[in-house]
Amino acid sequence: MKPIRLDGWQALRCQPWLLALAVWLPPLLTLMFIALFASGTPKSLPVGVVDLDHSTESRAYLRHLDASPALALYHPYPSAYEGSAALQRGDILALVIVPPEFGRELRLSISPESVAFYNSQYLLAGKFIASALTQANFSFSAKAGVALRLGRGYSLPDAIAAAAPVRPQITALYNAGMSYALFLVTSIMPALWQILIVVATVLTLSWRLEQASLPAGFAARSRALWQLMAPLSLILWLQGLIMLGMFSVFLGWRPEGNILWLVAGMALMVMAVQSMATLILSLVANKVRALSLCAAYLAPAFAFMGMTFPRGDMNMLARWWGNLMPSTHYMELQVAVADHGASLQTLALPLAALLVFLVPLALAIPALPQQMAIDPAEEVPS
Amino acid sequence: MKRAPTPPQALWQAFQAELANIFTDRAVLLVIVGGLLFYAVLYPLPYQKSVPGEQAIAVIDHDRTHLARKLIRMADATPQIRVAARPDSMLEAEALLANNAVHGLLVIPSNFERDVYRGRPTSLSFAGDASYFLIYGNVVEGLLTAATTLSVETQIVASLMKGESAAQIPGQVMPVRLISKPAFNPTSGYVNYIVPAVFVLILHQTLLIAAGSVTIKDRARRFLGRPAAPLHLALPLRVMTFVLIYLLFAMLYFGFFFQLYGIPHQASPWALLLFSLLFFTTTCLFALWLGALLPRPELVTVIVLVTSLPIVFTAGFAWPAENLPAWLDYLTLLIPAKPGIQGFLALNQLGAPLASLGREVAILVGLCLLYGGGLIYLMRTQARRRARNAAYDHPAPSSAWGAAVDE
Repeated sequence: MKPIRLDGWQALRCQPWLLALAVWLPPLLTLMFIALFASGTPKSLPVGVVDLDHSTESRAYLRHLDASPALALYHPYPSAYEGSAALQRGDILALVIVPPEFGRELRLSISPESVAFYNSQYLLAGKFIASALTQANFSFSAKAGVALRLGRGYSLPDAIAAAAPVRPQITALYNAGMSYALFLVTSIMPALWQILIVVATVLTLSWRLEQASLPAGFAARSRALWQLMAPLSLILWLQGLIMLGMFSVFLGWRPEGNILWLVAGMALMVMAVQSMATLILSLVANKVRALSLCAAYLAPAFAFMGMTFPRGDMNMLARWWGNLMPSTHYMELQVAVADHGASLQTLALPLAALLVFLVPLALAIPALPQQMAIDPAEEVPS
Repeated sequence: MKRAPTPPQALWQAFQAELANIFTDRAVLLVIVGGLLFYAVLYPLPYQKSVPGEQAIAVIDHDRTHLARKLIRMADATPQIRVAARPDSMLEAEALLANNAVHGLLVIPSNFERDVYRGRPTSLSFAGDASYFLIYGNVVEGLLTAATTLSVETQIVASLMKGESAAQIPGQVMPVRLISKPAFNPTSGYVNYIVPAVFVLILHQTLLIAAGSVTIKDRARRFLGRPAAPLHLALPLRVMTFVLIYLLFAMLYFGFFFQLYGIPHQASPWALLLFSLLFFTTTCLFALWLGALLPRPELVTVIVLVTSLPIVFTAGFAWPAENLPAWLDYLTLLIPAKPGIQGFLALNQLGAPLASLGREVAILVGLCLLYGGGLIYLMRTQARRRARNAAYDHPAPSSAWGAAVDE
């Protein structure tokens, strides 16, 4: 029998699943998420309307709301009853009710009140609709206010000034277009990349241990593992860089600070996750259970990174659990480098945290089982 | 020679074999019992506070007047923000933003008070850290509330000084009012938003791993020629056993844990039970189909791990399904989790009657037929292949083929 080389390249050649996870799935998933959020911000969200007034003013008001790119008011309902049933089914994400006498009260300047119920179960869409409605209402109000004051004999500049004495100018720092695509893809993909790293590492190590036993001494063992893992680490690190490249090509991602810190951080991230994967496999010595533990450990990583719900508002336990995941520190680094262009002092902390994850590797290498047998009762020969 | 068992005996033996497949497999127990309990505690953990609290902002006050100080006090008083720093320059403010000490900035221009009282339009500059959208939203909401309140107050004072009739002032200050009310999730809390959908996903994903890997190991044992119950008994019993186990977990999740986390829910127990029954049957058939397709048990876990985040963002609760590209929207409907999440949310969170869920029910029934049919097809072809292999294996061991292998 010809002895086969037991390095990482061979592992990739022998296992089509590993090849998929490490080579072609990562860019494919990035492209899928870019397509998923292709609209940039939520657009034309379905809003139902119950117009109880049917006046020129109410129609003008609804047309004005409809002009907001976030909203699509194409669902008229005869009464609140039908409207709320549609809201419950999820056919519409908000319901605007224009009261009777809307037009008359507007002309008499006694401030009619319309009501909008928005679906806050679908919190992102609901809040987005609520703020689009508030803004559209505000600008309609300003226009109507100018018209009312002109009718009362104000001059045009006075009327405009009186209608909006304090004008807020809002700037979104670090993401000027408030693109959800930029915000979400750049935080989801690192979490998914982490999952691909952990799975690829467990599969590679298991493959190696099923092929032949590991040498006993620490040095010999480390050398064998280095030959096995180095090619894979390199590929997974390159996948990280390709991911950043795709952010920049498709999402207009422009790092504020020095990208080299992020490139270094990505190398540390790959090694940190691989170190934890080795530790987990050394603890259970079984690939199925190791993967289950990896799932328990890293599947919820996105929620704990604090990009959606802020880490500052999490309790101690959640922050502590988040700190145990490399992705949390990597995201901190990515935001600091790419968005904030922060000083080296700020970058040092997440970089050091990623380094700490390499410590368990020293314990995991000697603790790895020498060999793992393939149980014929667990594999279907092809 | 043993007599063939009577049909009830065969059924009972097959059922015992199925139970043994599940309850003697440590990897499966780890997922069903350990996993489901652990995830129910872990996933809601980040959102215990549910609504993000006050975010720190910095204020640069170029005016230093009474009105400017009033605006700062008003901003500080909103529940969304607190004024944490008063830097002197933009450079200093940017440094505070960069190291996360503050997430927002309010700049009050010089001559702010004078312009407001003279009726000249003045601009207030707000900036929020849009690296974190929820924080940004809160900062902007808080600053807008403070600025609008101040604006309304000054308009009222100005109108009264001009001698306008008090009855018409509301119409001048705000000609049209819009009251926005959250429906279904009254606190707009994050727990109520994430947990009901993610719980459905957890049930779905663990069921895929458990039922999928049980099926793969069962196939492997059949391939080795170990005794096993006939498939026409084993597969329906497996589906039934897993559906029953998962109905118990559904009660734990939608009953006990919803109560524990204070999640509002509306469906009647019967409607929830019926929909759960359909959802788990579909998911279980999907799991068995995957189990018939894949060669090794760990591959189900790999698929589950890689698909979880894509499911979250295509299921319609985190990102509006209306905004998905059509091909992605339709493609992801093939995963039972998506119609499942949409159905459970409509039923239990939005309070829609079961009868109005025609779309979700139709999709799940369609997937049942698809994966059920696919499962039967795969199992039949594999049984035929096994029978062929058995015919090869049985000839006398001294055959030329057997000898060639020994060399």
